[in-house]
Amino acid sequence: MMRRSRETVGSITGSLVLFAACALVLVPLVFMLGSSFMPAMDIMKMPYRWIPEVWKPSNYLRALEGNDGSWMYLRNIFNSVLVSTSIAVSTVLLSSLVGYGLAKFRFRGRNAVFMAIMGTMMIPFETIMIPLYLIAVKAGMQNSYAGLIVPFLMNAFGVFIMRQYLITFPDEMLDAARIDGCSEPRIFWDIVFRNAGPAAATLAVLSFRQQWDNLLWPLLIAQDENMKTIPAYIVKFAAEKHADEGAMMAVAVIASIPVFVLFFTLSKYFLGGSAVYQAGKE
Amino acid sequence: MKRREIVGALERDRSKWGWAFVAPGLVFFSIFSFYPMLNAIWTSFFNKRLLSLKKPTFIGFQNYQRVLGSEDFWNSARATATFTVGVFVPLFVMSLFFAALITNMKRGKRFAQAALYSPAVLSSVVAALIWLLMLDPRGLANQFANWILATPGIDHQWLSSSTMVQVSTMIVYVWKYLGYFTILFVTGIGKIPDSVNEAALMDGAGPIRRFFSITLPLLRPTTVLVSVMILIQCMKTFSTQYLFTQSGASLAPINVITLNIYNTAMRDLNIGRASVMSTLLFLLMLGLTWIQLRVSRNSEAEL
Repeated sequence: MMRRSRETVGSITGSLVLFAACALVLVPLVFMLGSSFMPAMDIMKMPYRWIPEVWKPSNYLRALEGNDGSWMYLRNIFNSVLVSTSIAVSTVLLSSLVGYGLAKFRFRGRNAVFMAIMGTMMIPFETIMIPLYLIAVKAGMQNSYAGLIVPFLMNAFGVFIMRQYLITFPDEMLDAARIDGCSEPRIFWDIVFRNAGPAAATLAVLSFRQQWDNLLWPLLIAQDENMKTIPAYIVKFAAEKHADEGAMMAVAVIASIPVFVLFFTLSKYFLGGSAVYQAGKE
Repeated sequence: MKRREIVGALERDRSKWGWAFVAPGLVFFSIFSFYPMLNAIWTSFFNKRLLSLKKPTFIGFQNYQRVLGSEDFWNSARATATFTVGVFVPLFVMSLFFAALITNMKRGKRFAQAALYSPAVLSSVVAALIWLLMLDPRGLANQFANWILATPGIDHQWLSSSTMVQVSTMIVYVWKYLGYFTILFVTGIGKIPDSVNEAALMDGAGPIRRFFSITLPLLRPTTVLVSVMILIQCMKTFSTQYLFTQSGASLAPINVITLNIYNTAMRDLNIGRASVMSTLLFLLMLGLTWIQLRVSRNSEAEL
């Protein structure tokens, strides 16, 4: 009896500690949102007021317009959407294609191919970015969408997820389709890809988010203001001399809206991603 | 006899299709992973410069000598190592701790996980930018620290002191990834069979005792995996340090290796030396990733 009540006290304390931690973790997010509606002066006021005393929604106008009035942020948001979406789509498509080949066909050298592709996971992007940059420049892909997209058309992690998922796909269905005279590309497109739902969704969300966050490569390949993506724009905006803190937070909020929308609508796939990472096979 | 021929022909056909399906992958990874990697290693032996018309000449290990003999490189190695250790310890301990708390909770599990995870949704640059403002001398961080420490009016120099700016980058990182690794641990703990815990409960083991004697040992595959993932993540850190230095923080204390590679190539235009650092980073990561793959394969086999 004694022990039972001690455990209850323990678990209540645990919950309190946990909720305090959650509150602390959320502070910067609340700060970002609140400050995006404040005049710069109030953001640095002591003590800080969590709810704006003076509302200044024009921060958002300033954020979109930019410090120089060029409206470049709009263009850069468009770039980010285009690049991240294209990469998400192509990653899912190409990874399923390769993953299917590795999962459902037996051929000599299949294991070697699989190991080689998995081996690329050991090559961090940071170590190959300079040669990649030189290749892209040689190919004339500087300051172009191709330059931003092509190096990320697919990745080994995607191939891995899709292969693991498609291995469980029933062979009978494939054979039945073959007997019906269905061609291999059709089988892939109409039967396999259509049924790759959950794994494909997880992969798409992960790839989109990863690209949305990508700073290093766009910094190298897209030095034109026109071709920048959101992260590079943010760094530039924040470093400008007369940058307004309220507008900075508005820029940050705008950049975060799409990923938060994704997170709240598809949190299953979002959180699923980390589980897939760990388990590999579920 | 005939049947076997047909089967053989079918097999050959199938294997052709297999190659056809994996071909895009082979082409892609050859061009965008293997070739650049070999190229980086190759270039590290040449005095290649960006924008130079002179043909690069082979100089053997001279780049390596230069890099390994330069204070700048060792400063970056130090900055990266400090950052890695400074992030690893709190991140590992806290995410394990919170995962244990979440597992024992009866209600609000989903809320707690979502709340802790939410910073991971943000872009790294956005995360760094929020903290940049909070760490301003007049900002929230000073107010909060002074309230906790009861030291009114003190500026903790979050961005200006060379020690504190390192701490600041660590705070950003721990804050951002805490939820991510907490969820990995929650998943890991969830895989431990209830029966083991119940048996310990029957034997009268308290929650803390259960955690250290049951959960932690059985969680080993996850703890190793998380450790390696944190290490790899930390060694690749770039965005926070880049944004901080671009916004006025001094470079030297937080000049991590990735930032140094970027600057050496794009600002100093010295491709050869950037390649040396890339190659060294690659070798280090290779070791870590190898451990990660081995462990994740083993943990798969165990489960």
